[in-house]
Amino acid sequence: MLFNSLQFAIFFPIVVGGYFLLSQRWRVPWLLAASCLFYMAFIPSYILILLVTILIDYFAGIYIERMEGHGRKTLLWVSILSTCTVLFIFKYYGFFVGSFVSVVQLLGWNLPRPVLSIILPIGLSFHTFQSLSYVIEVYRGNQRAERNFLVYATYVMFFPQLVAGPIERPQNLLHQFRDWHEFSYVNVTAGLKRMAWGFFKKLVVADRLALYVNDVYTYPRAYNGLQLTIATVFFAYQIYCDFSGYSDIAIGAAQVLGFRLMENFRTPYYSLSTSEFWRRWHISLSTWFKDYVYVPLGGSRVRKNRHIFNLLVTFGVSGLWHGANWTYVIWGLLNGFYLVFGWLTKEWRDRLFALFGLQEDTRIRKVIMLASTVVLTCFAWIVFRARNIGDAAYVFTHLGSGWNFHQIATEQFLLRQMPVAIASILVLEIGQLWGRAVSVPNLIQKLPLPARWTLYASLVMTVVMFGIYKKTQFIYFQF
Amino acid sequence: MLLQKSARSGQLLSPKTYSAVMERQYAVSDELELAPVDGSVDPDQVQHRFSGVLRLACFFGMILVLFFLMNAMITSGLRRTKTSAFGSWNQVMEGKVNADIVVVGSSRASVQYDPRTIEAVTGHSAYNLGINGTQTDMQVAFFKAYLEHNRKPHTVLFNLDAFAFVTSHEVFNPAQYMPYLYDRALYDALRKINPEIWKSRYLPLYGYVVEDMNYTWVHGIEAFFGHSPAEDYFLGFNPRYRSWSSDFERYQAANPKKVSFDIEPAGVADVEDLIQVCKKNGIDLIFIYSPEYKQMQMMTSNRAEIFDHFRKFTEQYNIPMWDYSDWPHDSDTSFFYNSQHLNATGAAAFSLDVADRLRQYLTAQ
Repeated sequence: MLFNSLQFAIFFPIVVGGYFLLSQRWRVPWLLAASCLFYMAFIPSYILILLVTILIDYFAGIYIERMEGHGRKTLLWVSILSTCTVLFIFKYYGFFVGSFVSVVQLLGWNLPRPVLSIILPIGLSFHTFQSLSYVIEVYRGNQRAERNFLVYATYVMFFPQLVAGPIERPQNLLHQFRDWHEFSYVNVTAGLKRMAWGFFKKLVVADRLALYVNDVYTYPRAYNGLQLTIATVFFAYQIYCDFSGYSDIAIGAAQVLGFRLMENFRTPYYSLSTSEFWRRWHISLSTWFKDYVYVPLGGSRVRKNRHIFNLLVTFGVSGLWHGANWTYVIWGLLNGFYLVFGWLTKEWRDRLFALFGLQEDTRIRKVIMLASTVVLTCFAWIVFRARNIGDAAYVFTHLGSGWNFHQIATEQFLLRQMPVAIASILVLEIGQLWGRAVSVPNLIQKLPLPARWTLYASLVMTVVMFGIYKKTQFIYFQF
Repeated sequence: MLLQKSARSGQLLSPKTYSAVMERQYAVSDELELAPVDGSVDPDQVQHRFSGVLRLACFFGMILVLFFLMNAMITSGLRRTKTSAFGSWNQVMEGKVNADIVVVGSSRASVQYDPRTIEAVTGHSAYNLGINGTQTDMQVAFFKAYLEHNRKPHTVLFNLDAFAFVTSHEVFNPAQYMPYLYDRALYDALRKINPEIWKSRYLPLYGYVVEDMNYTWVHGIEAFFGHSPAEDYFLGFNPRYRSWSSDFERYQAANPKKVSFDIEPAGVADVEDLIQVCKKNGIDLIFIYSPEYKQMQMMTSNRAEIFDHFRKFTEQYNIPMWDYSDWPHDSDTSFFYNSQHLNATGAAAFSLDVADRLRQYLTAQ
């Protein structure tokens, strides 16, 4: 079920109403049933895959806690490998076999290309990672194994964050299913406001920009440099608004029910370096990779070469997590390279800035750093969004050529969309800048009720009237 | 390992994890700061669950009322529009046309037949019912709506297309129908194409914001406050002052082999339906295959087959068919803006040809 669908508009109030009317005993089964329904709205039979993952890690958690010595580690690895096998079959089998066959064919052997057409279950990477984090935390002794199967299943399947995160940790979410959540007007309204902001990002900004981006990136060779540049900048906003919009809706929906999910974005495009960007972008995934890949590899407390290796491996795997395509791997590695380069050249850059009298806290230096981070991120997005490496190379090499200001529109994105697109980006930026300076909800709370309601109603009407409703899925669903 | 109890769940956590959890628990977004989850801040003193629910119900009730009001405002505005496409639709739906001769067809009808020329040459009132992006099914539905609200014409000029036997697979520019979904013929035809059209009829704003991406609702609000768009429809005729675009060359490049148009049984039935409606109402029907760019004609692989079907109808029902496939200007790009549509210059020349032929035909009748 999509958040931006009529079904969800009916589903959500029923689930919330039912949840607060039920006694504590029935709340978890109610949430689990709702989550199953939510997931089954996509492809019903795929819930069985989810069930397999849940069963594996549920029992693994219990036995890991019970066992001692080497057996625990073996069981942990069995659990990790089993869960990852499911992910591999559905997400990466075709990619790896296809890549292997291509290499073999390059060597001159004639190997037939196997045909295996499987639709990737929605959000598989997200709930797989959430499930893995549970088993690992139980193994590390940071989390007690959950004995109640329904609670554990609801933890993996909790519908607000089931298909696109935030990827929760058991310490943060699991216990909340046992807590009593009293109906709180403040919580409900705060959650609804957060959802409204998320819908604005998704429907008004992301889906409108998607019209342009999809046209250009489907056949980049048909567009001039200006259109390629606009599409790349638009994609940077699209993916941010799409994904952070989803996270806002998920966090807001959970908050309406009384749950607290972790933050996933902190205005990442205001970062002054790539490493800061990754501390503010898709935080639940970045910290997952940090905790379960980067640190176990040795992190930064190793020799220089090993540290570089650790960074590149973490980002390479992170790229592969996003999709079974070499473009994602290259995107990940490119980000890893940015980090390594930034780390290696930090002293040199500091000296260069000092030469011009630009100390760390000077505004000009911050602007330069912010702009260079945005540009580097946009370059990386080109590889991420392109259908293949050839298209990405084409976009890279043609960004600056053949600019034609009379040819900006595309087939789906007519020029009349442009003012709305630009206005929506401005509203987004103003909202974010304002939100950094003051507490917007607190400010609004001080207004008299009629003014407050007028403001909220205006936001709802803006989203409704200016939204794009082309039944587009959230970008991160495919991961 | 030194473990610490979680304040909420009583689960054992390491100090590092515990502090991380607490930090996360009370972290706030840079974008929107939220109230703490325990609901400790309550500026409006909403103590009771009931009063909270009531307040939420009031707010969403207000939003719902706003939806209905806005929907009514847009629909009313569009129905009040005096000019352009909606002005033309309103003339038809308010029964103000009552022409002797009407043109039925797609955009090829809408941009190519000038009723003013037909009126001047034949001395009979005329109106153009061509609608952009429609197949025969919607064209017939609109004609039925016309008959429902207007005096029946004595002659119908049905503009034929190579795609005349292809049925609609989606509703093109759905917003143009929104103010008129009360009309049975239109609604039934739309429901056949899109079974979910009921949402546009019964859910406020759905048709204007979910189904439409042209901001038709903005025109509706403007019109509600008395602002009508500039006039570009003349008795339903929408001349296009455009010169030849490179669309056709791109189309040719994209389709190096010839193209063909389906002959669907349902599409054939739609043409038959139009014939029956005319027959039942005693209306004289004329088939006209209006000019088409010569190279496009040559690109259509099953053109002969499509014309065979047209001829079957003309022979069976004794319908005159005026075929402009060999129009003298059909290779002259200064008369077209793309392979299917004449520009204003072409439309003026063609309308004169048709009007003259129609005058002779009516005189002979």
